[in-house]
Amino acid sequence: MSTSATVLTDNTKLSLLDRLFFKFESLLNLLGGITIFLLVLLATINVLGRWLFSMPVDGYVDWIEQAMAFIAFLGIAYTKRLGGHIRMDILVSLLKGRMLWFVEFISTMMMLMITLVLIYGSYLHFWRAFSIGDSSLDINLPTWPAKLVVPFALSVLALRLLLQLWAYARALKQGGNSAVGVPLVESPADIAAKEAASVMGNDNEVPK
Amino acid sequence: MNELATVLLNMSSTEIGLWVTGVMLLLVFMGVRVAFAAAIAGFVGLLWIFTAKLGFEKGFLVAVKMAGTIPHSKVSTLALSLIPTFILIGYLAYHAGLTKSLFEAAKRWVGWLPGGMGVATVFSTAGFAAVSGASVATSAVFARIAIPEMLKLGYDKRFAAGVVAAGGTLASLIPPSAILVIYAIIVEQDVGSLLMAGFIPGAVSALIYGALVVLLAKTRKNFGPPVTGYTWKERFESLPGALPIFMVIAIIFVCIYGGVGTPTEAGALGAFLILCIALYKGTRWKTLKSSLMETAKLSVMIFAIIWGVLLYVRFLGFADLPTAFSDWIVSLEQSPMLTLIFILAAYAVLGMFMDAIGMLLLTLPVVYPALLALNGGEAVTAADSAFGVSGAGFAIWFGIIIVKMAELCLITPPIGLNCFVVAGVRPECSVQDVFRGSIPFFIADFITIAVLVSLPGIVLWLPGLMGYT
Repeated sequence: MSTSATVLTDNTKLSLLDRLFFKFESLLNLLGGITIFLLVLLATINVLGRWLFSMPVDGYVDWIEQAMAFIAFLGIAYTKRLGGHIRMDILVSLLKGRMLWFVEFISTMMMLMITLVLIYGSYLHFWRAFSIGDSSLDINLPTWPAKLVVPFALSVLALRLLLQLWAYARALKQGGNSAVGVPLVESPADIAAKEAASVMGNDNEVPK
Repeated sequence: MNELATVLLNMSSTEIGLWVTGVMLLLVFMGVRVAFAAAIAGFVGLLWIFTAKLGFEKGFLVAVKMAGTIPHSKVSTLALSLIPTFILIGYLAYHAGLTKSLFEAAKRWVGWLPGGMGVATVFSTAGFAAVSGASVATSAVFARIAIPEMLKLGYDKRFAAGVVAAGGTLASLIPPSAILVIYAIIVEQDVGSLLMAGFIPGAVSALIYGALVVLLAKTRKNFGPPVTGYTWKERFESLPGALPIFMVIAIIFVCIYGGVGTPTEAGALGAFLILCIALYKGTRWKTLKSSLMETAKLSVMIFAIIWGVLLYVRFLGFADLPTAFSDWIVSLEQSPMLTLIFILAAYAVLGMFMDAIGMLLLTLPVVYPALLALNGGEAVTAADSAFGVSGAGFAIWFGIIIVKMAELCLITPPIGLNCFVVAGVRPECSVQDVFRGSIPFFIADFITIAVLVSLPGIVLWLPGLMGYT
C-alpha cells in the first residue's frame, strides 16, 4: 500500500550491481519483517498466557526492546533503494536533466556524510556495550547484538548511497531525463496510478 | 576566515538553533529525505555547540558519540513496538479480502437511506480505517469497489468520487492510528489515551459525513438514489464477513480502555486474529511475505524519521530554541485562541505540500512546547488555562486537532493524495472532479475542527473516563 518508486535497469555494470545489491537488501528487509512477525507472536503469547494461565512470558519487555533495533534498521537500505523514505519533492520535481541530477547528487552526498558519522558513533555505542558486557534489566540479555545492528545496517545504507552517487554522477555526465539505478521523482498522479495498480487483481474477495 | 569562525563560535545558543533550523528547512526543500535532513541538522548543531565550548577535536568526538547513541536508544522502547503491529494489521486485512465483505454488509444495512450507497461507503471506509490506519490505501481500495456500484445506480460522478476520497481520511483518528502513536511519542504522552481520544472525533466525523451525504442526496435531484429490497435475512447473512473488523476494534478497545493489556499487546492480538483469518481464507507464504516486506519497509521509514527528528530534538535541548519560541509566543499581545488559529492555518498550508507524518515530526518539537506554555504550562488546571483544558488534557486535545488538520490536507489541492488516488483508479473521474466532489466534505471537516477547538470536552471525555486529563 505504500508504493515504491520506479527504478530503471539496463545492461551496464552499474545496473547489474544495483540489482545484485538489491537482492541482499531485500533479504535484510525480509529479516526485519520476520522480526515483526515474531514480535506479534511473542506479544500474543504473552497476553494470552497472562489471561488464561497467569503465565506471562519471562523477560517479555527485554525481548521486545532488543527486537526493535532489528525492525527499525535492517530494511533501511532497501527502503532507500525504493525511494521509500519520505521527502518533499514538490521543488525537485520541477527540475529536469542535469540540474535535477546535480541536486540529487548533492543531497545524496549529504546523506552519505551523516550516515558515515552515525556509523562511527553507533559503532562506539556498540563497542562500549560489548566491552563492559552490558545487559538488559530483567533477564540479562546482552545488549550488544541489537546495538551492532545499527552500524551494520547503516554501513549497508552507505554502500547503497555510494551506488546511487555513481548513478547520479553518470546521469549528470550523460545528461538526459532518465537515470538508471536510482528511484525516479514521480508526480502525485504517477504515485496514484501505482497505488491503483496495486489494488487491482484483488477481485476475488467475494462476501460469503 | 578566522573572523567568520570567531563570529560563528561566539553566537548564542538560540542563534545557533535558528541557523541550524534554517539549514534543516533548506535541506527539506532541496529534497533531502526528511529523516536525514533532521539528523544532519541535529549533528551539525551538536558539533557547532560543542566546538564552541570544547574546541573542534573534543567537540567533534562528543557530538559523534552523542549522535551515535540516539538511533539505537530512541527506537528500543516498548511504546514504539506498537507501530509495526498496527501496520501489519492493515496489510493482512487487505489481503484477507475483508474490505469487500465490509462494503457489502454496509450496503445491505444502510442502502435504503437517501444517497444510501454513499452512506455505506462512508461507514465501510470508517470500518476499514479501523484495521488499516492508512488513509490513501483506504481510498484506493474503495475507489475500486464502491465507485463502480454508485455510478451504475446513476450517482453523480463527482459526488461518488468525493465520498471515497474524503472517507479515506477517517483512518487518521479511528484507532489504531499510526500517526497518533507517533504524536504521542514526540510529545511524551500516553499512547493509549491518545488512541482512545481519537475514537469519538473519528466516529463523529463519520456520522457527519454520513449526514452530509443524506442531505446532499435529499436536496439535489438524481444525486444519489437509495438501494432498497434487501431482506433482514440477507442483512444478517452479510455480517459474518465483516465480523473480524469489529473484533479488532473490540480487542483494541477492551485492551486499552479496560486496561487489561498494553497498546502493543492489543495491536499484536489484532494482527494475530487477522493473520488467522487470512490463513483461513487462503493466504499463503507469498502473500504473507509481501505483507511482511511492506510492513518492514513502512516501519523503517517511520522509525528513521523518529530517530532523525529525535537527534535534532537533542540538539534543540542544548540550543534552548523551544524555550525561546515559547517565550515569544507567550509574550504576544493577542488572544491565545488567535495564536492557535494562526498556527493551525500554517499547518493547513504546510500540509498541502508535505506528508503529514514528516510535517508533524519536524515541527512539533518546537511548536508543541510553545502552545503548551501558552495554555499555561504542564501543570495548569482547566480553570486557569487559556484554552480551558488542563496541561495533560491539552496534549491530547491538540494532538487530535492537529492530526485531523493534517489529514484534511489529503483532499486539498495541489497534492491531496487521496484525490489523485481515486482519479488514478477510476479513469472516468478527472482529478478536478474528485477535488470538486470533496469540497462539501472539506467544509464539513473544517466545521468539525472548529467544533473540536471550541469544545475540548468532545475529545477529552473518553480519556477522562480512563483517568487521564
